[in-house]
Amino acid sequence: MEQMGLTTGRNKSKSTVERIMNIIFLICGLAAVICVICMTVYMIISGWPAIQKIGVFEFLFGQVWDPENSEFGIAPMILSSIIATFSAILVALPLGILVAVFLSKLIPGRLSSILRTLIDLLAGIPSVVYGLLGAILIVPLIFELQTSLGLPTSGCLLSAIIILIIMILPTIISVSETAIRAVPQQYEDASLALGSTKLQSIFRATVPAAKSGIVAGMVLGVGRAIGEAMAVIMVAGNAAIMPEFLKPARLLTASIPIEWAYSSGLHREALYGIGLVLFIFIMVINIVLNMVLKKAVN
Amino acid sequence: MKKISALLMMVLLAATLLTGCSNTTATDTDNTPSDTAEKLSGVVKTGGSTSVEKVMTALIYQFQEDNKDVTINYELNGSGDGIKNTISGQYEIGHSSRELKTDGTEDGLDATAYAIDGIAIVINTGNDVQDLTQKQLKDIYTGAITNWKEVGGNDVAITVITREPGSGTRDAFAEIIGLEKGGSDIISSASVADNTGAIQTQVSSNPNAIGYMSYSDVDDSKVNTVKYEGVEISEATLKDGTYTLKREFFLLTKTGATLSPAAQAFVDFVMSKAGQDIVADNKLLRIK
Repeated sequence: MEQMGLTTGRNKSKSTVERIMNIIFLICGLAAVICVICMTVYMIISGWPAIQKIGVFEFLFGQVWDPENSEFGIAPMILSSIIATFSAILVALPLGILVAVFLSKLIPGRLSSILRTLIDLLAGIPSVVYGLLGAILIVPLIFELQTSLGLPTSGCLLSAIIILIIMILPTIISVSETAIRAVPQQYEDASLALGSTKLQSIFRATVPAAKSGIVAGMVLGVGRAIGEAMAVIMVAGNAAIMPEFLKPARLLTASIPIEWAYSSGLHREALYGIGLVLFIFIMVINIVLNMVLKKAVN
Repeated sequence: MKKISALLMMVLLAATLLTGCSNTTATDTDNTPSDTAEKLSGVVKTGGSTSVEKVMTALIYQFQEDNKDVTINYELNGSGDGIKNTISGQYEIGHSSRELKTDGTEDGLDATAYAIDGIAIVINTGNDVQDLTQKQLKDIYTGAITNWKEVGGNDVAITVITREPGSGTRDAFAEIIGLEKGGSDIISSASVADNTGAIQTQVSSNPNAIGYMSYSDVDDSKVNTVKYEGVEISEATLKDGTYTLKREFFLLTKTGATLSPAAQAFVDFVMSKAGQDIVADNKLLRIK
C-alpha cells in the first residue's frame, strides 16, 4: 500500500527521470549502431580503392601474393582460411555436441558445474596463449611427422587447425549445452516411456530438438575461427601458398599483422582490401547467425 | 616430461617478462628532468624501423641522460611507416633499415647513414653446416637446393624461413645474394616470420631451419651463424669488408626542413664519436 502511495505521489518526477533515462539509453544504443556504420564505411572507403586498382577478379582469385612486384592475389589465403575453418568445425562440432550431452545429461549436477566452469575458463584464455602452447607442444609433434615424410619441418596448416579446434570447442560446448538444457524434460521422458534407452532418447529426441541452438554454436565457432589471427600466426608458417595440410599456410587474417609494419603504397592499400574481404566474411557469418537464431525463436 | 619442461619454460618466460617490465619502469623514472641544467628541452617525435631498435634505444637513452629535458619518442612500426610519417611531418626524424625507394613515392627525404649492420645467416645449433656460398644460399632461397645434404649437412629437407615482403632486411638480403627485387623469387613455401626475434625463435626451435637476421640481434646461445663465402661474420670481418652481407641504417629528415634544436642535437649526437661508440657497442659497424 505504502509503495503504491509513493508511486502516485512522485508520478510526475518519475516520468521526467524516465524520459531522461530513455534518452540516455537511446544515446547508448545509437553509439553501437554508429560504430558499426562508421566501421563499415571506413572499411569500404579504405579497402575498395585497392581492390579496384588491382581488379576484383585478380584480387580474389589471383594465386600469387608478391607485393614487391605488385601481384596481389589472395586466393591462397581465402582457401586456407576456409579449409582451416571447415576442418576445425568438422572435428570440433561432433566433439562439442558429445561433451555438451555429457555435461547436461550424463553426469551429476555438481561435477557438471565444475566442468562447465573449467570450459568457460578455456573460452576466456587469450588467443596468444593458445598460440604459445601450439608453438611449444603441437608444432614439435608435427615436425616429427614432417620429418618422417621427408618434408621440411615448419609451422603448417594442420597445426593451425588443431589450435583452432581447441579454441572453438568451448564456444560450441557452452552454446550447445545451453540449448540441450532448454529442451523440456518431457521430450526425453516421453521417449523413455515409449521404451527407448536413455542414450536413444537423448540423441533421437533431445538433441534434434536443440538443433537450432547447436547450429548457432557452430556459426559462432566459425566466426571465431575465421577471425583468429594471433594464435594462427604463431603456428601456421605463414607462406602465402595454396593450402596443403603439412605445408606452411597463411590465413586471411595473418597478412595484415605480418606485413603492416613495412608496407607502403598499394601494398598497404591491399592490406586494407584484405581487411574488407575479411569484414564481409564476418558480416555474412553474423547474418547467417541471426537468421538461425530467429528461426530458433520461432 | 615434455609437458612439464614446457610448463617450466612458460613460467620462466613469464618471469623474464615481468623483470623486463620492472626494468622499463626503472628507466622511465631515471629520466625525470633535472631543473639544474639550462639545456635543450622538448619532445622529438621519431619512429620507424624495428631492426634498429636495440641501437636506437641505447642512443636515445644516452642522449636523454645527457639532456634531461629532452624526450625522444620512438615508435616501433617499421621502415615503411618511418618513411611515410617523416614525409607527412608526423615524425621529425624517421628510422629506416632500408634505402629509400627511387620510384618517386619516397621523395623529399634526406637519409643519413649512421651504422652498418651485418646480415647473419643463422641455422639451428644442432646443424653442423659451416659454410655457404652466395650461389648455394641463392639456390636454397629459390628452392633449387632443398636438402641439407646438398650443402654438406644431414639428409633432411631444408626449412627456409624468410622475412615478410617489404622488410628492409629482406630487401637487402635479396639484393646482395642476387635474388630478384624484394626477394620475389624466394620459394613461395618458405615460412614467413614478421620480425627479427621471430626468425631467431623459429630457427632455434626448428632443427632444419635456415634464416637471415640482423647481426646485432644474434644470440649465439640460440642459433649458429654460417660462414658466407668462407668468411665468418664478426665485427672484424664487417669492418675490413670481407663479409659482404651487410646493409646500412638511416636517420631520415625532411629535405630542406630546419630541425628543432633538440632534434638537430640528436642527429649530431648519433654522428658524434660518443654516438658512434654506442653504435659499435651494439655489434654494428660505425660509419665514421
